[in-house]
Parts: sequence; structure tokens; C-alpha cells
Amino acid sequence: MSSFKVIEIKESVFSDNNKQADKLREELKKNKTFLLNLMSSPGSGKTTTVLRTIEALKDEMKIGVLEADIDSDVDAEKVSKTGAKVIQLHTGGMCHLDADMTNQGITELGIEGIDLAILENVGNLVCPAEFDTGASKNAMILSVPEGDDKPLKYPLMFSIVDVLLINKIDAMGIFDFDIEAVKKRVEKLNPNIKVIPISAKTGEGIDEWVAWLREQVKKWNE
Amino acid sequence: MRILHELGVVLEVVKTVENFAKANGLTKIDTLVLQIGELSSMIPRYIEACYPAAVDGTLLQDTKLKIEILPGNAICKHCEKVFNVIENNGVCPKCQSKEFNLLGGKEFIIKEIVAC
Ligand SMILES: Nc1nc2c(ncn2[C@@H]2O[C@H](COP(=O)(O)OP(=O)(O)OP(=O)(O)O)[C@@H](O)[C@H]2O)c(=O)[nH]1
Ligand SMILES: [Mg+2]
Ligand SMILES: [Zn+2]
Repeated sequence: MSSFKVIEIKESVFSDNNKQADKLREELKKNKTFLLNLMSSPGSGKTTTVLRTIEALKDEMKIGVLEADIDSDVDAEKVSKTGAKVIQLHTGGMCHLDADMTNQGITELGIEGIDLAILENVGNLVCPAEFDTGASKNAMILSVPEGDDKPLKYPLMFSIVDVLLINKIDAMGIFDFDIEAVKKRVEKLNPNIKVIPISAKTGEGIDEWVAWLREQVKKWNE
Repeated sequence: MRILHELGVVLEVVKTVENFAKANGLTKIDTLVLQIGELSSMIPRYIEACYPAAVDGTLLQDTKLKIEILPGNAICKHCEKVFNVIENNGVCPKCQSKEFNLLGGKEFIIKEIVAC
């Protein structure tokens, strides 16, 4: 008869990922590379916003992009046309990126000389919220057609991000979307969050978003 | 999409346990015990469903999985009654208040392993 022993671990499941994320963050910091993790539901406007951001900042900093997708290259192709360096990450069916996958992408991208790396996460409001990718700051996009009740349905995502972009405000007339109600709901979950209404289509609000991002990059390198 | 969420997380568990086993010189693990809060985003049924695929080819290949559920209990901010949030639909059964502080229920913990 073999004897068994019970070994207590008592470790929260995410601690391994969290450790890897902290390590990556440290490395990025040393290298003066700012990593933005951009999350949203499918189709909220991540890629369009990334294109606008590159357009606005490409003369002041060197930008690299990680496009995470379950299985296509469509977004990476669009972004590569801007001249920015792009790496496509296929998650192979997985609904989020963890720190390990992000690290692989960053290594492939090569951060030497990159000031700003943008990670377009998998379109999903649930899973990416639970995995720290090692990013310097986390951003999410909520688009007007999705509705102003989303902070009530996906509280974790809204509570972990540093900035919320409310996109597609050019379509406000068509949808019942109450920006003030969203702000109130979000600030209850996350008092320090910055909320910026934008239209990635018309360019409205992009200045404010880019100014916020520029400031964060500057602080990161101080 | 839904089941893949659990798969990603279970792969994370497997990695953590494998690292623990290596660090402690364990070569065979009989049972893995997880604790999951009732209010966590993880659904035990889905975890069990994707577990065999997640451990395939790993040190945990033959390891049994046991899941313990931790209750989603809260304390009422008004009358201090402790009650189960799910059973009471988030309403205090004593004073009907909807304001409470959560005491637990969102955990997702690797509690222990039984090793030979
Ligand atoms: N009206 C309007 N449409 C927009 C805006 N931003 C993006 N779109 C459109 O919304 C659709 C989806 O935009 P994407 O930028 O591809 O969204 P995404 O979040 O990258 O989508 P996935 O990568 O598939 O998750 C496209 O047809 C865009 O042209 C906006 O501000 N206003
Ligand atoms: Mg996209
Ligand atoms: Zn009460």
C-alpha cells in the first residue's frame, strides 16, 4: 500500500500568470517601452482606433502592434499598411491572451527602440479581464451600439481598466446611449478611471485620447 | 467561447501545479483539489469537462480532480445578518436591504494536492 500525503498549496490560480506579467512589465520598463493592452467586444472599433492612434503619434514615437486573433490575419494586414511593425498572434481558439503569450509576441516584435507597443486583445469582455498581460496600462472600448448597460453586465472588465473609450459617438443619434449613465456606473466600480468619448470614424475625441496616451508614455519613462 | 474560458484557466492551473511539483520533487500526483467560489466566473461543470484535455500529456495526466465549492456569503450593511447571496437573490432576508459586503465566493484557489 502506498502512503499518500496531502500538500497544501493555497495559491490563487492567477498568481503564476501574475508573476510572469510583473516580470514582463519590469523588462518593458527597463527598455522604456510602454505596452497598452486594448480590450473590447468584437467589432467595437479596436483596429480602427489603433489606426487613428498610429496616425496621430507616428512622428513622435516608434510604434509596434501585436494583433491577437483567434485565427485570422485581417487586422494585422490593415495595421501593417500604416508602416508600423505588426506581429500577428494566433491564440488557437483561446479567448484571451496571458502574460506568457504576450511575452512571446513582444519577443518576436523585438522591443529594442519601440516606444509604444499596442496589444489588440481578443474581442471579448469576460476572459481578458482575468489575465494580466504585463501591460503598462489597460484600456477598453465600449461602442455606442453595444448599449450603456454593459458596466452592469461585465463589472470585472470595467473595474480593471485605466481608461474607457466610448467609441462610435457619431452614431449617438441612432441609439439610446446615455454617456452620463455609463460614467456613473463605471465610476462606482472604478473611481480612478478616465472616460473619453471618441469616434474612430470621424476623429472626434481622438486628440484627447492621444493626449492621455502621450502623458502615460511620458510618465512610464520618467 | 464559454468553455474555452475555463480551458485557458485550467491550463494555468496545470502549469502552476507542474511548477510546484518540480520545485518539490514530486513525480506523481494522485488528486488535485480546487476551491471555487459560487460567484466566480468559473463554472465547475465546464472545468470538469475540459480537465482531461488540459492535463493530457502533462504530469497531471492521471491525477483525479476534486472541486470544493465555497459559498457566496455576504453581511448586510444595515442589520449585519450574514446570508447567501445566490439563495436570497442579493436581498437581505431579514431587512430586505440590497446593500451588503461580500465575505467570499469569488475565489479560485488551488487548495492542495495529494501526492504519493
Ligand atoms: N460609425 C462608426 N463606425 C465605426 C467606428 N469605429 C469603428 N467603426 C466600424 O466598426 C466596424 C468594426 O471596427 P473594427 O475597428 O474592425 O473593430 P474591432 O474591435 O477591431 O473588431 P474585432 O477585431 O473583429 O474584434 C468597422 O466596420 C468599422 O468601420 C466609429 O467610431 N463610428
Ligand atoms: Mg480588430
Ligand atoms: Zn439586513
